[in-house]
Amino acid sequence: MEQAVTSAMTTSNTHLRDDSYLDDIVSRLVQFSVFWAIVGMGAGVYIAAQLVWPALNFDTAWLSFGRLRPLHTNGVIFGFGVTALMATAFYTVQRTCHVKLFAPRLAWIVAYGWQLLIVLGGLSLLAGWTSSKEYAELEWPFDIAITLLWVGFGIVFFGTIAKRKIKPIYISNWFYGGLIIVIAMLHIFNNLAIPVTLDKSYSLYAGAQDAVVQWWYGHNAVGFLLTGGFLGMLYYFLPKQAERPIWSYRLSIISFWAFTYLYIWAGPHHLHYNAIPEWVQSLGMVMSVILLAPSWATMINGVMTVSGAWQKLKTDPAMKFTVLALAFYGLATFEGSMMAVRSVNVVSHFTDWTVGHVHSGALGWNAMITYGAFYFLVPRLVNRPLYSTRLANAHFWLALAGTMLYIMAMWAAGVSQGLLWLSMDEIGELQYGFVDIMASMTSYYGLRFIAGFIFLVGAVMMAYNFYMTMRSTEAVRVRPPQVDPAYQA
Amino acid sequence: MTYFIFIGDMLVMLFMVMLVIWVGFKTSDEKNRQAAEIPLNDEDLEEMNHG
Repeated sequence: MEQAVTSAMTTSNTHLRDDSYLDDIVSRLVQFSVFWAIVGMGAGVYIAAQLVWPALNFDTAWLSFGRLRPLHTNGVIFGFGVTALMATAFYTVQRTCHVKLFAPRLAWIVAYGWQLLIVLGGLSLLAGWTSSKEYAELEWPFDIAITLLWVGFGIVFFGTIAKRKIKPIYISNWFYGGLIIVIAMLHIFNNLAIPVTLDKSYSLYAGAQDAVVQWWYGHNAVGFLLTGGFLGMLYYFLPKQAERPIWSYRLSIISFWAFTYLYIWAGPHHLHYNAIPEWVQSLGMVMSVILLAPSWATMINGVMTVSGAWQKLKTDPAMKFTVLALAFYGLATFEGSMMAVRSVNVVSHFTDWTVGHVHSGALGWNAMITYGAFYFLVPRLVNRPLYSTRLANAHFWLALAGTMLYIMAMWAAGVSQGLLWLSMDEIGELQYGFVDIMASMTSYYGLRFIAGFIFLVGAVMMAYNFYMTMRSTEAVRVRPPQVDPAYQA
Repeated sequence: MTYFIFIGDMLVMLFMVMLVIWVGFKTSDEKNRQAAEIPLNDEDLEEMNHG
């Protein structure tokens, strides 16, 4: 990595050209994303501590678990995750289309508007405003703001694609485009509500319909944002880091369409054994199992791309994070498909196994792939080597240790909970009470707190490393290459 | 309902098979190779080196 950065070191920072890629906005979004990672993960570690020491809520409403938990999820998903997706989408779409970003002013409005939304939205959650919809807790004024900003994001992204200088639309852009379109659809329909006051609205849906719409949204937010969006990141940054093209481009296209077609059906697996038609549950289960095929096709495609460049794992921290993310992607998608099977779900549902599964994806896949992309990006954005490779390597091991400890603690806790809740005595009554089982979870929750803290320390080290790398520098101006006639639109 | 799910699954499979055939015919190996190499040639390195 350092070699590639050094080759660009002779670039003049003042060498401005009109057609240079707009990378200032990428730098700023990376900084925001890292900031939200620390805030969101910090909130997560604090509520993990509350599950061990409940007195940490200090009898204060805004420090209560019920308010801090959505702050944690919104902070990491919409603060850290979406900001990272905006940064990498803007970086990728310019380079793979060989043009500067479309509507730069609008892009800046979207970038800063999104940060303002996260700040105000976070404060509203602390104040107790909530629509009570998981991963969509923000109330109606914020829902409208999200819609407007998202449309702006779409205009910038698709506008750049429309003015591209090369004909093929690279596979990453298909995933980013899918993210923008599907999340817009999910967000609008899930949040349809009648406002009654500034801080309160009532959903248009009720009962079982509300549950189905909620998990149509919830699971596809996981699908098209936390999976599809980050696959866009993978398909661009993995070939860049490995310095070789994706192993099978054809397989990547097939995976994209299979992924898009299948994921949208899978939501009902969140509602097994609930008051929705059994055939809807079965449909969700079957589609979730079939979904394993494109998921693992992507993982295999990624691993085969790295094949032949394994030696880079010794020296390049970005590559380490990316390859580890691939491994966790395979693990989490396999586990997700299995947990969607009703006979497995009867044990796992409503237990901490689900929390472990979510974090195997969130820490192992989403955070790691983002770290990999950022460790690649930051030195290039400022045209100087990373401040400390040793610190980045230490971050890698802390992130791996934190993730493994977290998911193992939650697996043990969740499987114990599921089996104990299903235990019957000789006359057919529940053998263990809910409170007894929860009381026995303290040690696992303690481990979870330690694991989260370790992961957070790694993120703080990364922030320091990036600060030292980026301080007192200006973004480098990079121009598109001459268009090869074979690519011309 | 079992038949409904079975038929639905078969339609999904049919879609995937048709997709594979379509992708197979639509694109050539050469076009795929060119598209796959887009990220490897997306910056004017000569311009960067000589600023």
